[in-house]
Amino acid sequence: MSDFSTALDVLSSGMRSQGRRLVHISENISNADTPGYRRKTVDFHAMVEAGRRTGEVEVGPVRLDRSDLVRVHDPDHPLADAGGYYDGSNVSLVVELADAREAQRSYEANLKMFEQVRRMSSQLMDVLKR
Amino acid sequence: MTEMPALFGLAASLARHAAARQAVVATNVANADTPGYRATDLEPFSPGARDDGMRRTHPGHLGAEEAAARRVAIEAVANDPNGNNVTLEDQILRGIEAQRSHSRAVTVYSTAMDMLRASLGRR
Repeated sequence: MSDFSTALDVLSSGMRSQGRRLVHISENISNADTPGYRRKTVDFHAMVEAGRRTGEVEVGPVRLDRSDLVRVHDPDHPLADAGGYYDGSNVSLVVELADAREAQRSYEANLKMFEQVRRMSSQLMDVLKR
Repeated sequence: MTEMPALFGLAASLARHAAARQAVVATNVANADTPGYRATDLEPFSPGARDDGMRRTHPGHLGAEEAAARRVAIEAVANDPNGNNVTLEDQILRGIEAQRSHSRAVTVYSTAMDMLRASLGRR
């Protein structure tokens, strides 16, 4: 029985982490046109408690993508320099959408497993009910 | 009548093994995007098997409690550049396998229970 509750804990940590990842992806997408915005990325680690891995997953600190900002030519822009250029963001919509799709797919896999574990444990409970 | 306890024990240990396996598969799925994570699985269920390969065929045998099934690494080439070798499709299939063996065990257990009740004359 405790196997089931461990599995449910682990799976909900997976869903939480994928959700956090989706939050940062949507921030990136909505700031794709913000001048000077750098895309945010997070990475996942295995959670360690009392020196051993619990199997749960957690999200590391937010990091900014250090790649070069796109130089946009628009002399009318208020931020434009003498040459008519300003710094755009380094968000690439294609990358963000692909990342969002991957996060969604992993989230669904976690959810499916969660449902399966719950079904198994309720089946076990049915034996008690008889 | 003497077969009944053995039947219950067998069904219960299969259900336990399936639950433990499901927990391992759940860990793999949750860590599908963790850099450097290697997927693991449990050894297949074998009734009465112990760590040293001896089989317990009678409840009176030494080392009465069953050892937990060992974890084995799934040998798959890392398909992510970050060294993670979890394949979601494969893990989902393993999860379904564990669920099927769990429901098989529970069905056998409850049928045996019905037979026991019927022999006691209570239904």
